[in-house]
Amino acid sequence: MFDRRQDLKTIRRCKRGEEDAFKEILERYRGPIYNLCYRMTRNAEDARDLGQEVFIKVFSLLDRFDENYAFSSWLFRIATNHCIDHLRRNRLRFLSLDGGVGQDGEEYEIQLPDGGPEPDTVLQRKEALQRLDEVIGQLPPHYRAITLLRHDQQLSYDEIAEVLHLPLGTVKARIHRARNLVQQMLKARAYDI
Amino acid sequence: MDGREHQEDVTLACADTRDRLQGYLDGTLAKSESVAIFLHLRDCGGCREEHEHLQAMFSMLDELPQLPVPDDFDARILDSIPLAAYREMEPLRRDRVPVFLEESYLPAWLRDARTRLAGLSVTLAAVIAVAVADQPQPLLLAAVVGAVPEILVRCQGWARQATLAWRRAEN
Repeated sequence: MFDRRQDLKTIRRCKRGEEDAFKEILERYRGPIYNLCYRMTRNAEDARDLGQEVFIKVFSLLDRFDENYAFSSWLFRIATNHCIDHLRRNRLRFLSLDGGVGQDGEEYEIQLPDGGPEPDTVLQRKEALQRLDEVIGQLPPHYRAITLLRHDQQLSYDEIAEVLHLPLGTVKARIHRARNLVQQMLKARAYDI
Repeated sequence: MDGREHQEDVTLACADTRDRLQGYLDGTLAKSESVAIFLHLRDCGGCREEHEHLQAMFSMLDELPQLPVPDDFDARILDSIPLAAYREMEPLRRDRVPVFLEESYLPAWLRDARTRLAGLSVTLAAVIAVAVADQPQPLLLAAVVGAVPEILVRCQGWARQATLAWRRAEN
């Protein structure tokens, strides 16, 4: 999904201290990283802070980046670990499969572009997406991260294995389990998608 | 699912099919497994329904909307980049070579001009002696051993120059 060679060229320019190269990296990855952080934390302020911290960390450690790996893998690994650490630090509680109270008790709404009056099907789709997003937000952090990397960021199994430093078999098993959890949680809430 | 409600599949049970549905949708199964599941889904209403439900969920997961990034997202990041440090480090980074190509990697006594000169003298004397000697093998060995310090130092220098040229071309 991400252009590895193009990234490498840009990173080498970053290492020479070219400010435009850092802006290019931001242009390419700010959306994916912010969205990953947002869906991991379900909080816009936390997502902004975490996303910024991820880039600040990455940009200060470019000398440690191993060019044998994809830059995107390295970036997503740092972002994923940073989000999971944040969740651990804040001791967020997650819903059990048989239901319960939301982790922060706040209403949560996906921001979709405003349009005119919506046909029923579009509205239903929007509501279904919102319910699905809510369920993903209640997965345990490791399952949430792997689901987002696979579906939200469209990474392949191999790329996820590289990002998370896990064997391919473990990645497949974990994604399988995460999707089963999503399915069970949707059923437990009688959510129809 | 009640097995009596549909034709029994002899090659793949419903439980196995459902267990492999994710791989089927991901396209990661072997061709023979995919064909078996395809055939089972054709005949089994319950598994077909499960497949459709999973397919809908996959489609929704792939379509989660991308949220807009706050306008002030970049400012803090750009302010924090140690641009000056990167610029100062650049000449050092560009001239960095693997440790075994660093001059100091070879022992000082071996790099010393007197050692190399002595070695080459031994080599020269041995080569001359080979011409008149009845048994040249020991002399040939001495010629090679004498040249070792010079060869090592020269090879390391050439390799270092080649690495630096390659690094600069790459950047």
